[in-house]
Amino acid sequence: MFRVRFHGRGGQGMKAASRILGNAFFLEGYEVQDAPRYGAERRGAPIFAYVRAGREPINERGIIRHPDLVIVADDSLIPVPGAGVMSGVDSRTVVLINSEESPKVWKQRLNFEGDVFTVPVETADRAELRFIGVTCVGAAARLLGAIKRETLSEAIRQELASLGSDIVQISLSKALAAFDSMQAQAGTVTPVKTASSAHFQPPDWIDLSLEDARASAPAIHAGATSIEVRTGLWRTLRPVIDHDRCNRCWWVCSTFCPDGAINVDTEGRPQIDYDHCKGCMICVAQCPPHAIRAISEREAQAAEVEEASK
Amino acid sequence: MSRTLLTGNGAAAWGARLARVDYVPAFPITPQTEIIETIAKWVDTGEMDARMVTLESEHSMITAAGAAAATGVRVFTATSSQGLLYGMEMLYSVAGWRAPFVLVNVSRGLSSPLTLEPDHNDILAARDSGCLQIHCSTCQEVFDSMLIAYRLAEDERVRLPVIVNLDGFYLSFTREPVELPDQESVRDYVGSYDPETTLFRASAPSSQGVAVLGGGPYSYFRYELHLAARNALRVYDQVAGEFAGRFGRAHRAVEAYRMEDADIAFVMIGSFATKARAAVDRLRDDGWRVGLVRPRLLRPFPAAHLQRLLAGKRGAAVIDQNLSMGLGGVLHSEVASALYGQDGAPPTLVSFVAGLGGRDIADEEFFEMAAVTKRAIDKDETPPPRLLYTEAELREVRKLQAIAHVEYEQLRGASGANEGWRR
Amino acid sequence: MSETQSRAAPVSEAKVTVYRRMKDLPSTHLLGSGTAMCAGCGGLEALHEVYDVIGAKSIFINAAGCMTLLSVYPFTPFRGSWLYTAMASAPAGAQGVRDALDILKQKKRMPAEEDMEVVVLTGDGSAYGMGLSSTSGAMERGLDFLYLCYDNEGYGNTGQQFSGATPHAARTATSKGKHGFAGYKKDLFSIWAAHKPAYVATVIGAEPLDLARKIEKAKGLEGPRLIIAMAPCPTGWDFDPQITVEVGRLAVRTGVWPLKEYVDGKIVHTKVPHERVAVENYLKLQGRFRHLFEPHRDDAMLGEIQARVDAYWADVTA
Repeated sequence: MFRVRFHGRGGQGMKAASRILGNAFFLEGYEVQDAPRYGAERRGAPIFAYVRAGREPINERGIIRHPDLVIVADDSLIPVPGAGVMSGVDSRTVVLINSEESPKVWKQRLNFEGDVFTVPVETADRAELRFIGVTCVGAAARLLGAIKRETLSEAIRQELASLGSDIVQISLSKALAAFDSMQAQAGTVTPVKTASSAHFQPPDWIDLSLEDARASAPAIHAGATSIEVRTGLWRTLRPVIDHDRCNRCWWVCSTFCPDGAINVDTEGRPQIDYDHCKGCMICVAQCPPHAIRAISEREAQAAEVEEASK
Repeated sequence: MSRTLLTGNGAAAWGARLARVDYVPAFPITPQTEIIETIAKWVDTGEMDARMVTLESEHSMITAAGAAAATGVRVFTATSSQGLLYGMEMLYSVAGWRAPFVLVNVSRGLSSPLTLEPDHNDILAARDSGCLQIHCSTCQEVFDSMLIAYRLAEDERVRLPVIVNLDGFYLSFTREPVELPDQESVRDYVGSYDPETTLFRASAPSSQGVAVLGGGPYSYFRYELHLAARNALRVYDQVAGEFAGRFGRAHRAVEAYRMEDADIAFVMIGSFATKARAAVDRLRDDGWRVGLVRPRLLRPFPAAHLQRLLAGKRGAAVIDQNLSMGLGGVLHSEVASALYGQDGAPPTLVSFVAGLGGRDIADEEFFEMAAVTKRAIDKDETPPPRLLYTEAELREVRKLQAIAHVEYEQLRGASGANEGWRR
Repeated sequence: MSETQSRAAPVSEAKVTVYRRMKDLPSTHLLGSGTAMCAGCGGLEALHEVYDVIGAKSIFINAAGCMTLLSVYPFTPFRGSWLYTAMASAPAGAQGVRDALDILKQKKRMPAEEDMEVVVLTGDGSAYGMGLSSTSGAMERGLDFLYLCYDNEGYGNTGQQFSGATPHAARTATSKGKHGFAGYKKDLFSIWAAHKPAYVATVIGAEPLDLARKIEKAKGLEGPRLIIAMAPCPTGWDFDPQITVEVGRLAVRTGVWPLKEYVDGKIVHTKVPHERVAVENYLKLQGRFRHLFEPHRDDAMLGEIQARVDAYWADVTA
């Protein structure tokens, strides 16, 4: 049985991607299970999805602890602890990353012995984000080696039909290009046997003991603890203030920012809190002198790394 | 007949569509909402000849469902968790009306704390309502159970609402291949709804749901409800048998998987039971004589089926995805009461509570539950009930508690500090 | 009375009423006797008058209250049908029945003559409180139904605790203090009318002609039609059952209970008491207000109550 886990962000077409892959397997005659996994759906927040496909009816269910293939639609998720991208990955797992970086760089960064492949997707334009998933799935289909090119096309047509023929055409061209780009790596992913009951690590179950109701009721005993959540990690675009053009009408950007992530410094200049800015770009749209511009978060981070290394 | 990929929610909606329901009172709640969205779309396009009305609460929704069924139309409705509890008063009431309809509950843990993920406390809270319960483990089973449920509910020997239960996320949002029969064969199987005398007509005045005075008549009506629910066991076997004959898929009141020569049985309900099935296969590969017993019917409780399936076994591990506060697992206590004093009842019955609020049950945990049960059998000693909870999980909670400004002093338990906790 | 029970085309104006004078009221009555309601019940008086106009081609959907005990197995006074639901959701029960009847007619599984008027019957406890959300929902969905609230200004079936309908200063089982109930009667008429339903009216059994005309008018309309019947309650208000009608008439003549209707977006008072009787004449008949007169006359409170009634009518005549 193949076990494939997708990691991406809300808005990157992860659910559709998992469904395309699931349907492609199904059309190839496999038994299939596909599902998205999210809490409250939020654009930019980490989500994952999974696909299982095998020749026998599938009894496994829920999260995939030991994937054969991990698809990372957004390489900025890899360092996010809560995203769990590398969870349960071992040396025979294949990792496919949407990244401008080379597989070699990622193998090094992750200190990972298994196969890493990359498939770059243009993401500077936010409208392109939703095609990330379909591009990844094209590459993944080839790596799995179980899905024909025509089957992939058919699965895309079926799953995306409700979005209209334009979206289907763009998706097809992106997915098939990615499919073709992995020609040399066709069938790299090999499913492994499931856990054996003869040799397993027994779970470290513990006994919970009674604790004071003040501790054991779901109550938060302080205010504004949400500040500890780094929602800046949701951002794919970054607003940048050009302080030369800024005319310090901070009451505009700072009032309209829904997250309260624009504050005024001692000199009266608005400053963006990038730990919490989700990248909605309301400030860019509302700034009277157009002093805030949007840049790709990926490029911004790359520039920061370069700056730091100087 | 076509085989297609459907979520559990999609399968439920298809069941309502092919059963040709007339009326769908609705109210949105996660993770059920996709069911009513799907039906709303079909009603809009005319693919489904039904009327759908969004009420202002589940309490009203279930009232409208029962009232419409009592007026003589085929009714479908769906909810989940808090919604099922919000409508709980009416579940009891409409069952007493003896007005049949089908309600899908997409299981989700109950507040507090609030959660979106599944366990079975919601559906078990409806245990004593008079509504029958069918628990599903796959998307195919959800669809099939919808059709069986209409036959069961509307049968003149039963006449009770039936709840078809599926787990949130693990079935509701998970697609699996589902075989959909054509409309004609479903029509032949389910038939038309005959409200018999349960209807309101100008020419046939009827008063339903009326009060009684005194325990004598009250006991009579309530016990008749119980007898009808009991009778549903026999009727279930018949209508499910007919389903198997017609569509080739057997859905017995209790599924028995590799039980013939088993010494140890896992006993559990719902979608995680397929994980138990996978664990049975792995354990069998390694020489264990293990099987799975999965009640599909929970009300009526299939005690005789369980007695028969477990007779002569050495032990059973009952895995409850629910928690009755101050007792433990509900299924465990029900299985124990079914087996007590029965010839050949397994001498060892171990209780595990697992999967609360959607917590996964790992393969290794199934293996360990089998091992714990085996040790209990060998020592002839029943261990105390066990919550499947790891040290790593408690460490995660400790981190959350630190953010929530829970003070160390508050964490000290009545029986001393927790073993797993180091400041 | 005529037996044309199917929902007719809207009656254009009240002038076509068959109830021009008291003699036109029905002389034989549909609602069966033998019910468990208290002797002298003002609510039952209103209901039986209403029932004569609505007719037996009807189904009453009931919420928990005194009148739940109208139908106690195996007895019912209704010649038509009845469904008891729960305290909060009688309008939702009406939704289910109405929808089912419409579906059956539309799918030709029931002849049109088998259709019925769907009537919600609740007390003020349900109407003003627990059932308000489901009533609001039924109105926003434009449900074609009639709602009859018998308003005896308290949770009568449980021993007259105060409800959202209890008037200021009234003593109830849960407001036995020196000054009685501290709150004020909720304006349910306005809350209902704010939904812009087809029809809202206040009635009282003591004014049967006004009542009959309003039910007749409501019957001729389609959509949500809601009636509040003030229900003088000998048990809960503590007066001798023989004066139920007198108390009711005084409620109207003092201006405490304005008879009015909301139709086509306008509120019309159907009986304006030009020489309004002083409110204390109404209050002093009732034990629940005795503390305003004994052992000492509470002029301040009596003055306040009178002033509120005067203020209401000042707006009406303005």
